[in-house]
Amino acid sequence: MSIALKSVGIRQVKNSLAKWLITLGGISVLFTLVLIFMYLLYVIKPVFESATISPVASFAIENEQQVLATGLDELQELAYTINTSGNINYYALKPDHQILTDDKKVALTFQESISDSKITNVIDAGENYKLLLDENNHVFLISPKFQTSYDTGAREVIPHISYPLGEESIAVDEQGAEFTHLSFAMNDEKAVFIGFTQDQRLIKTTLIAEDDFSYDPSYEIEYQTIDLSTNQVDEVLVTPDLAMAFIQNGDQVLVFDLSDDSDVELKATIIPQLAQSREKPMHITAMALLSGGSSVLLGDSNGKVSQWFEVATDNGRQFKQIRTFNVSDTEAVRQIHTEQFRKSFYTFTDSGEMGTFYTTSEADLWRGNLTNNIPDSFVISPRSDGLLMFTNNQFQLFSVKNEHPEVTWQALWQEVWYEGYPEAEYIWQSTSGSDDFEGKFSLVPISFGTMKAAMYAMLFAVPIALTAAIYTAYFMTPGLRKKVKPTIELMEALPTVILGFLAGLWLAPIIETNLPAIALLFIMLPISVFITAFAWHNLPKELKAQIPETWAPIILIPVLILVAYLAFALSPVMETYLFGGDIRQYITNDLGIDFDQRNALVVGIAMGFAVIPTIFSMAEDAIFSVPKHLTSGSLALGATQWQTLIKVVLLTASPGIFSAIMMGLGRAVGETMIVLMATGNTPILDWSIFQGMRTLAANIAVEMPESEVGSSHYRILFLAAFVLFIFTFVFNTLAEFVRQRLREKYSSL
Amino acid sequence: MISVSPKTILDSTTKIDLNNMSAEQKALDIKNLDLYYGDKQALQDITMSIPKGQVTAFIGPSGCGKSTLLRCINRMNDLVDHCRIEGEINLHGENIYNKHVDVAALRRKVGMVFQRPNPFPKSIYENVVYGLRIMGENNRRVLDEAVETALKSAALWNEVKDRLHDSALGLSGGQQQRLVIARAIAIKPEVLLLDEPTSALDPISTLTIEELINDLKKQFTVVIVTHNMQQAARVSDQTAFMYMGELIEYSDTNTLFTTPVKKKTEDYITGRYG
Repeated sequence: MSIALKSVGIRQVKNSLAKWLITLGGISVLFTLVLIFMYLLYVIKPVFESATISPVASFAIENEQQVLATGLDELQELAYTINTSGNINYYALKPDHQILTDDKKVALTFQESISDSKITNVIDAGENYKLLLDENNHVFLISPKFQTSYDTGAREVIPHISYPLGEESIAVDEQGAEFTHLSFAMNDEKAVFIGFTQDQRLIKTTLIAEDDFSYDPSYEIEYQTIDLSTNQVDEVLVTPDLAMAFIQNGDQVLVFDLSDDSDVELKATIIPQLAQSREKPMHITAMALLSGGSSVLLGDSNGKVSQWFEVATDNGRQFKQIRTFNVSDTEAVRQIHTEQFRKSFYTFTDSGEMGTFYTTSEADLWRGNLTNNIPDSFVISPRSDGLLMFTNNQFQLFSVKNEHPEVTWQALWQEVWYEGYPEAEYIWQSTSGSDDFEGKFSLVPISFGTMKAAMYAMLFAVPIALTAAIYTAYFMTPGLRKKVKPTIELMEALPTVILGFLAGLWLAPIIETNLPAIALLFIMLPISVFITAFAWHNLPKELKAQIPETWAPIILIPVLILVAYLAFALSPVMETYLFGGDIRQYITNDLGIDFDQRNALVVGIAMGFAVIPTIFSMAEDAIFSVPKHLTSGSLALGATQWQTLIKVVLLTASPGIFSAIMMGLGRAVGETMIVLMATGNTPILDWSIFQGMRTLAANIAVEMPESEVGSSHYRILFLAAFVLFIFTFVFNTLAEFVRQRLREKYSSL
Repeated sequence: MISVSPKTILDSTTKIDLNNMSAEQKALDIKNLDLYYGDKQALQDITMSIPKGQVTAFIGPSGCGKSTLLRCINRMNDLVDHCRIEGEINLHGENIYNKHVDVAALRRKVGMVFQRPNPFPKSIYENVVYGLRIMGENNRRVLDEAVETALKSAALWNEVKDRLHDSALGLSGGQQQRLVIARAIAIKPEVLLLDEPTSALDPISTLTIEELINDLKKQFTVVIVTHNMQQAARVSDQTAFMYMGELIEYSDTNTLFTTPVKKKTEDYITGRYG
């Protein structure tokens, strides 16, 4: 009795132990999945957050003179003011927002060193250049800079002023007239001023470096006057690449081509469509250049900002209105400020309402009133993570959290019109050689590539895998089946990197050089199988009896080899007589189809090979497990083998066959190495069999190592991973759902 | 338990001399049939004639070859690997093992119902018309009529007439077996082979099927394999007793069960082995 009880006790302990272990295993699998999911979402989430602007510091300064301009260092530790006497005063913003003590204050008395006269105007000339105009119409160019020093053991930001064109005043106008508008841009070889003078001349003054402005400020000066049919100029802008000048003349913008040094030509006139009404005429009220200088932003009194850039059209390059932003419904756009490195801009209306926008993604990021009117001075920090406003001798510093303005759901999935492109397109181009490159993140081409690769793979794999499964399960002798099935299943263990490697380096060149042979194979192989089978069927019984039934299918092997040999032997002949000697030329020139060596055909075959074992194995199991009494029942009713197969076997096996195909599709969608090595990785939208593609999986593999952690690119790659996850999840869930439904239907078999 | 009187059987037909039947009386004529599975001989020199319009039962212990013999009649053994058949089975005086015989056509004349109900995973309607559809019959009116006739003959009509388009897999075992019978008779075979049709069923369903068999012989020649001697006694007109692949005794049911000629038969029907 006691022994019995004891053994019952041990059994129960083992039983509950097993139960707990299994439960634990199951739960941890689910938990891990959820964790992966959460982590992906956690990395992706910041991309879709809208911008936030929050105040950091605010303090008044004591300065008897009028402040004309302000500035900010990269780390937002120092702010400076330029006042009418030409003094530049620095203020520490962090950590305690106190005015720097006198000994630390830069003893810069610009006025003393250069000019005694009063500074009347400071023009922000982009890229950290400030033009100072004094009452005697002298022009000075300064560039306030900051250096980080660790000499004292702690980080210290030391400001200094550089003079890229020398400390002397620049004689911008030959006649020394007063400027109403002045704009400036420079590179290492040239500096260009475009100005409009009080006596209504539009002038271009070019300073040509004797050597290189980066270390030698000496220059030669050239003066030009630009013919202008009008006497009114409201705004003047020069692009940073010195290629164009935008002159606002009332409600139109004249674009001058500066690329020819000796001759400035009117290149285009931008006339925005302003909604006109008699009561409230609309006007251009603000103009700004977007980062990079290719786009001009025009604000109007209707509260709209429109973006214009040059687009290649049939009639040459023309300025086109690309998109508009609705800044305000009631007020005019008074000011437009653009970021230095990104395509963002800030707008102000008269009531001081600020708006933050991103052009390319058309994102409306932030709106609100930080002040009650337009600030006297507004500075966007160089890293675009802070704003400095100066109003009534009061500094206000705001921190901006706006890391991924270029990413919106629309920009990821819809056509986007990038600068310089003739029309809106789906583009994935995440990196380039230059720094001012704008990343183009459309998930459409790579999602499409995933689908295209999977589709071609399935086109190749499904017919082969299913017919093989039907033959093996339904017609093959048990002896042969025992050998064939494990062999095909073994193919699944083949590392896909080898398949990809073979596809990219061995198969792709073969296909390229023997294209007619490949086309011929696709037609001749199935036909030869049918002919062989028919011949076998009509063979005299005596002859048939000689060969054991198990090995009868082997006779196909020499036939297939012969046909393949024939196809390859015929290939050059066909090429010569049908395709004028070179089929690649023929396809490209005569048919007008682009041909890549790594194309969908190669991927279809290689990935098809990888998918065949998955589909074959599951479909074969499904067909083989159709109960024998069902086939007998059908045969006993006078159905032929074929009728039984079609009407009973495939019907009954359909759940299994369906999920086999879906599993194959899931595998094809997630496959990485083969597509990585055999597709050419070109993110294009083209169904053509002769073109490559880039898939989500390959894209992640290619770009993840080179993307900066935390950047938009990095997060979008995680988003791509998430999309891939969703794709496979959907396919597998659909497969499982349908399978369960069908299984329920056939459960009592 | 179940009481089906053999009286109806005794009364139903006039005795037939099994050894001297006229050609019209014979449904099937089996002559010197040998069957080998590889090297093993499963049937030995079977010779018998099965009369038209009657129920013939094959009885015998497990493995005696009675199912094998039955499956020979519509060539279901063709599907078995390494199976070799010698001898003749004549239907209308033509050997069904003749080279030119279309097996599918033969099976339409000789229908078969298996031990386990095997409806297809289709609707009741589609199950019944399956045989007609594979012959290319798609006329709705013809099919409707065939379904009603077949289901009525199989005594299933009243139970399923309102749900003809529901899945056949929703029926009970007994109903499924009657549906399978309906499916077999829908193509109007001459001979209906029943391979232990009630062995997977409960007593009530068994009773229904047995009553059905009694009705079926008005239209078809029925050959039934059963391991249940009472069933053979209840439903059959003739009974063949087989043992170890040989036909031991073949006579009308009443004679075989009451006055068997062979010792082995007597031992079997009195329960000494089997």
